[in-house]
Amino acid sequence: MASSSGPEGPSSLLGSTVRRSFTVGRMNLVIGTGVSLLYGVILSVIPGGSFATVLPLLLPVMGSIGGIGAMLVFTNDRTKGVFEYLIAYGVPPQQIFLNFLGAAFVLLTVVNVTTLFAAVGIRLALGYGVPLVFAESVLAYSLPMSYGATALCTSAGMYWTSLSSPRQGMNSPLGLLPIVGVAPGLVTLLAAEAAGPTLGVYVAIGAVVLVVLLAVILLALESRLMPRERLLSPA
Amino acid sequence: MGNEALSSGNSLAASTNGLGISCRGVSSGYLGSKVLEDISFAISEPAIYVVLGPNGAGKTTLFRTLAGILRPYRGQVLIGGEEVDRQSSRDHLHYISHMDGIPDGLQVREALQFYARVERASNDDVDRVLNMLEIQDLADRYLSQLSAGQRKRVSIARVFLREREIYLLDEPTANLDPKLAREIRELILRLSQQKIVLYSSHNLFEAREIGRYVIAIKAGRLALFDRIENLRGAHFVVGIRVLNPGSPAALANFTRQGDYFLRELDGPEAVPPLLRELDAQGVQVRELREMNNPLEDLFT
Repeated sequence: MASSSGPEGPSSLLGSTVRRSFTVGRMNLVIGTGVSLLYGVILSVIPGGSFATVLPLLLPVMGSIGGIGAMLVFTNDRTKGVFEYLIAYGVPPQQIFLNFLGAAFVLLTVVNVTTLFAAVGIRLALGYGVPLVFAESVLAYSLPMSYGATALCTSAGMYWTSLSSPRQGMNSPLGLLPIVGVAPGLVTLLAAEAAGPTLGVYVAIGAVVLVVLLAVILLALESRLMPRERLLSPA
Repeated sequence: MGNEALSSGNSLAASTNGLGISCRGVSSGYLGSKVLEDISFAISEPAIYVVLGPNGAGKTTLFRTLAGILRPYRGQVLIGGEEVDRQSSRDHLHYISHMDGIPDGLQVREALQFYARVERASNDDVDRVLNMLEIQDLADRYLSQLSAGQRKRVSIARVFLREREIYLLDEPTANLDPKLAREIRELILRLSQQKIVLYSSHNLFEAREIGRYVIAIKAGRLALFDRIENLRGAHFVVGIRVLNPGSPAALANFTRQGDYFLRELDGPEAVPPLLRELDAQGVQVRELREMNNPLEDLFT
């Protein structure tokens, strides 16, 4: 059959999805950003190496919590027939999936940017400076891990939601799924701290590679794991 | 059922710009599990086509297949001769599912703007529809703050953002209070003067009141496609309410059901003689109505 979306297909719905994810998931965003900021500020004012090592490990955990709003909206939309509406009007299921992934990334970016700006700003204001190892850790671990874990969590959440039969009026049958997003960062944080400074680096890098790889595999299997029927509300 | 019963008019097709919707041997379902089997019909006459069937018969699956949401395993759904999966075909359809399709986290105006973006309508259309459905007062309220009836009104409002030729409405009046259900029926009736409206409902009296054709689905197959006026029930029962019961013997052949006196007749042609007979016996009839609905037989 022909492609369902022609050149005049519906415009991007990412803006609406982001806006709705902010509204519906504001509590998660407040918790993720708030806790992350709190630790960022505390670690910034403490002289010594914990700022450079602990904050980059903590950032993906809080970022994943902040991005849960996108999954909540996804679950609502499926239950309430919004996807059915979108598909009927020519929005491809892949675009729906990617919209929500994009929305989760935007929420995550809010947590990351807010925390990093605040923490680095405080360090500079106090005259402590920002160690190079901090910048390296953020670039090599925090950012890939937080985006990888959020992609993993959001994809797994969408697959899980699409496999379940939500009850009417139930807003967020996500169960323990958000843990999928929090777990990689949390486990890595604990494992890296336990392994010590040298071995901890390898633990963190290994975890990043694993999580990003899993996220890429899940995204690649998107059309196979989630056919359009999975996006429909119960008949 | 002859083949001629499987299609509706052609003389009025020009009212829908010549566009019709047709199913050709469609089998469809979910994840390889077949729900509809070999459905064929063609519709070109502007009217309301009531889709009826017991729960689980496949009505929603039929709507989803006609809307291009589910891809048929076999056969074709054509809009004006083109497959429904093409964007140019979809642009002729409006679809309202049995769920309200309301995007939470938005205000009413934002939700209509969301629909307008999807359907490539303008902000002026949003304002027009807010006025038309008399929901201007709700425009700045979040959807989560609305009652079920108000949400349904917003859900219905979107089909008026852009004019299209074919409307697929899956239980649009379900769970609505009688006043709102009537308003929506009236809107749909007006639409159907120039548009093709496929409409499912479990309310058989509503279906009979507004429908011109019936499409009955049973166990995933097309059981009937005919004009509703052609349907004759197995039994023709009338009920009368009286102002004055007349002589004691006058209503002896009737059974009592609430305010009504019921009697089974051979058919509608027996009504005038019955009225003359009652009049002769001094019975003053306040109301006479057909008590059973031939559409009920489609569920047996």
